[in-house]
Amino acid sequence: MIAGAAVRAVSGIGSAFLGIALEVGSFGVLTARLARRLAPPDFDGTELRKNFYRMGVRSLPIVLATALFTGFIMTIQAGVVIGRYDAEGLIGWAAGFVTLREVGPILIALMFSGRVGANNTAELATMTVTEQVDGLRALAIDPLSYLVLPRVIAMVVLLFLLTVWGDLFALIGAAVMGEVMLGVSRHVFLRGLLDMLGLWDLATGLIKSAAFGLMIAIASCHFGLSVKGGAPGVGRAVNASVVAAAAGVFVVDYFLTYLLR
Amino acid sequence: MIRFMSLHKRFGEKVILDGVDLEVGRGEVFFVIGASGVGKSVLIKHLVGLLRPDSGEIWLDDQEVSRLSERDLAPVRKRCAMVFQHSTLFDSMSCVDNVALPLRKHRALGHEEARAEARRRLADVHMEELADRFPSELGDGMRKRVAIARALTLEPEYVLFDEPTTSLDPISARRVDRLIRDLSDRLHVTSIVVSHDLTSIFTIADRIAMLYQGKVRALGTPAELRALEDPVVQQFVRGEARGPMET
Repeated sequence: MIAGAAVRAVSGIGSAFLGIALEVGSFGVLTARLARRLAPPDFDGTELRKNFYRMGVRSLPIVLATALFTGFIMTIQAGVVIGRYDAEGLIGWAAGFVTLREVGPILIALMFSGRVGANNTAELATMTVTEQVDGLRALAIDPLSYLVLPRVIAMVVLLFLLTVWGDLFALIGAAVMGEVMLGVSRHVFLRGLLDMLGLWDLATGLIKSAAFGLMIAIASCHFGLSVKGGAPGVGRAVNASVVAAAAGVFVVDYFLTYLLR
Repeated sequence: MIRFMSLHKRFGEKVILDGVDLEVGRGEVFFVIGASGVGKSVLIKHLVGLLRPDSGEIWLDDQEVSRLSERDLAPVRKRCAMVFQHSTLFDSMSCVDNVALPLRKHRALGHEEARAEARRRLADVHMEELADRFPSELGDGMRKRVAIARALTLEPEYVLFDEPTTSLDPISARRVDRLIRDLSDRLHVTSIVVSHDLTSIFTIADRIAMLYQGKVRALGTPAELRALEDPVVQQFVRGEARGPMET
């Protein structure tokens, strides 16, 4: 009895790891197939422009609002320690370091994944189950060049740009809250920020945001295109995509944090 | 000329095609009939590489197409268009943009040029007034006509119709029939039509193949099929609820 349960447990763990390996392998294959279409460039410019608008312009308000409140929250949390050690001069550095290197890229990526990645999976999955993707193939139009690559390029570029804006708004939020709550002037905040942080701190976060964008784009496109089973399948694909993208963002973050430290 | 040679296809344990041999001549309106789930749509999807056979060959004129890569299938798909059962128009585009898409991608037309040409193509199927509507705003018959216009934009030599009259009202269905017949009579386009619609089958077909249990059960002109004494064929062509096909 106990031996049987142990075998089942080991078998379950094995199946789970095989499933993860299969998905990661599929991400790799999709990435390689898309990379082949980059040289020479083989993607639809009209679709790229449409995706920039749909994914970027419409995401901007929610990303900026999230970033602004993140800046407020960071100062409120830091205020306790800063006040205790009388270290108001460090608040610019602390807010900048945390925002640029970690909190900005990761929070904006998760917000982007929930809004854009999930939507992308749902759209591609619906197109797959309603045979619209086969319809493209039957018209001799490559779905990867026409549908997928413009979305991947748009998501990578947009997450990078949204992170730049998000970082800026988070720092503005932190500076405003520092002045209102802790009485730290904007000049002191800015001096701490500029004196103690370098371009590499900004670059680290932006490299991460581009990598997160690629992770979210590949996961959302892969689950959208590999959907099976009609409307319930679309729901499962969106769920799997959001979970995989979020988990993937943290795994990528771990490796990049280690490499770029 | 299209030839299916000893085509086999199974999904899991279920055998769908079990050695199908067929030959379709130039300019023919060739119907593939049979009960639901017998593999009619599966058969024609093989021709444009949307499905791959487990074994067997598919010849389009002098070219064996069943093992071509996606890239090599592109010229085949330009010559051999497909109209899907559910139209498969792109939801995010208006009708005119749906029709303009293959023109833009394959005829190297600019955006506005392609749209102008697409409007002319939509006029051919009497859809010019609804050209700027989105597919979700149209009925089944209208969507089907737009799908046909889109499939014909590249002036294919072969057109595959997957249940073109299913869910259409009788008038729309007969208009689609006339369109398919005209393609053959005026432009010598070869059509393979998957259908259950007995009126269509016996009005416009040149020849008919009936699939049953993964094989071609009967093959001939409408008159030859009607004259066959095979009880399975007779049950189908008479549309009878009871008979050997029940089992």
